[in-house]
Parts: sequence; C-alpha cells; structure tokens
Amino acid sequence: MADVPSIIHWMQNSDIGTGIRESIWVFPIVETTHVLALALSVGVLIWFDLRLMGWGMKHQPVSQVHKQIMPLAFVGFVVMFVSGILLFWSEAEKCYLSGFFRAKMLFLVLAGLNAGIFELRTKKTIEDWDKYPVPPAQARMAGLISILSWAAVIIAGRATAYNLF
Amino acid sequence: MGETIRGSRIYFPIIETFHLLALTVLFGAVLVLNMRLCGLMMKNQPTQQVAKDLSPWAWWSLVVILGSGILLFLSEAMKCYASKPFQIKMMFLFAAIIYHFTIHRGVSRSSREPHRAMGVIIGVVNVVLWLGVGLGGRGIGFL
Repeated sequence: MADVPSIIHWMQNSDIGTGIRESIWVFPIVETTHVLALALSVGVLIWFDLRLMGWGMKHQPVSQVHKQIMPLAFVGFVVMFVSGILLFWSEAEKCYLSGFFRAKMLFLVLAGLNAGIFELRTKKTIEDWDKYPVPPAQARMAGLISILSWAAVIIAGRATAYNLF
Repeated sequence: MGETIRGSRIYFPIIETFHLLALTVLFGAVLVLNMRLCGLMMKNQPTQQVAKDLSPWAWWSLVVILGSGILLFLSEAMKCYASKPFQIKMMFLFAAIIYHFTIHRGVSRSSREPHRAMGVIIGVVNVVLWLGVGLGGRGIGFL
C-alpha cells in the first residue's frame, strides 16, 4: 500500500499537477479564482457571524440573515474548495511539507466542526432567540470561533505561499 | 521605511496578510449591500438600513486596506510604478472610491427605495469596480 509521501509525490508529478504548475495562465487563474471565492465566501459569512455575536445586522432576525447569507457562502466555499484542490495538486509536496499548510488544514477542520455543531445543535433553539439583538452565549461563541478560525485559515494560507517555514 | 519593509523577511508577509483580511471584510460588505440593492437579499429590510449596518465595518476595513496598501507600496514603489496591473488597480480604486461616495451613496442612503433596474445597475457597477481593484492587485504579484 502506498504511503502518504508517495501519493503526494505522485500527485505533484502527475499530468494535472505538472500542467497546472508549469502553465503560464492556468496557475494564476486558478489562484485568482481561489482568492475571489474566498473573499465571497468568508466575506459574506462574516456578516452572519457578526449577527450571531450581536455586533451587526441587529435589526434582522438571525434566521433571516442565515437564510440569505448561507447559500452565497456555500457557493463561494465550493468554488474555493475545488480551486484549492487544484492548487494543492500542483504543489502537493511543498504544501505537505509546509507547517503553515498543516495549520491551515487544522483550522479548516475547526471551522467545519464549529459550523456542524451550530447547524445540528445550536440552531435547534433558534426560535427562542431569533429576534434578540444579542443571541445566547452558545450562538455568540459559534460566531466568534467561526471568524477566528477563518481568519487563521486565511493567514496560514497566505503564509503557505510565502514559504517561510 | 520602504527599505525596512522590503529588507525584512516577515514585515511584508504580515502587512500583506492584514491587507488580505481587511479586503475580505470589505468585499463581503460590498457584496451584501449591493445584493440588497439588486433586490437579491434582505428584501424585508430597507436598503438604507442595510447600508447603515454595514457602514462602520466597511469604513474600518477600508482604512486598514489603504494603510497596509500604502506600506506595501512604499516597499515596492518602483516595481509598482512600472507595473501595468498596478496602474489598472489604481484607476479602478479611484473610480470605486469616488463612485462609492457619490452616486452609490446617494442611492443606498436615500430613504426612498431605488427602482429595481436602477438598483441593479448601481449595484453591479460598484461590484465590478471593486473586482477590478482585486484582480489588478492579484495581477501585480504575477506579472
């Protein structure tokens, strides 16, 4: 059975990986798409998180903000995820060895878990606090963790490209 | 100052990271406000109210973006000055800021909801201008 480093090595040197990496246009286009999708996805998600924390959009019920923001954030996330996989494919070995990239993946998982817990558990009682300007502690915490973990994903992601460690 | 930033291994990445984080906040605010203008979001709330809610965050993110952007520019002034994407970015930036504080603000802060078609045009132009800034900015690093 192949171990992780050999899979990574194979990815980087596959036709797709090499093709993206060595193309004049494909890499910049995929990278730009990744950054734009990030700004779309996280940029709008922040407003839901701020609403959860009671810091913004206080005039709107939480469920309304959720319903309006989430489809957009989700579309952005899918584009970001797909373009991210392509970027990883082309620089698999660099990413695999990068401490920042590993940190980024951890924060990504944290953001995912946080969102999962909110959607499956915290949101159940939303009817009780939907219209409060400031939601209960559990919901505020979900908003805070989301903002912090996404900021960490962005910081670690940018640092991966600088190749500092 | 420019030399300090350029000469250091970590100043530039740190400043650029702030630039990127603030940009995400501003782009999100611009999108949400303009989707409201286009009638795609938060329809049960007046545009004026959405604009007021977003305004402080948009302001502060813009301040951080411009501040960090000026520092980045200082460190690579010669490269930027000669860079085509940078020139394009600056054109879009001035257009976006002027447009935002004149025409766009006039419509989004009016107590009367704009006509749907008018809202769509005003909103799309604003998003396109900011996209031009972002794409130009990304282009500086590549070209």
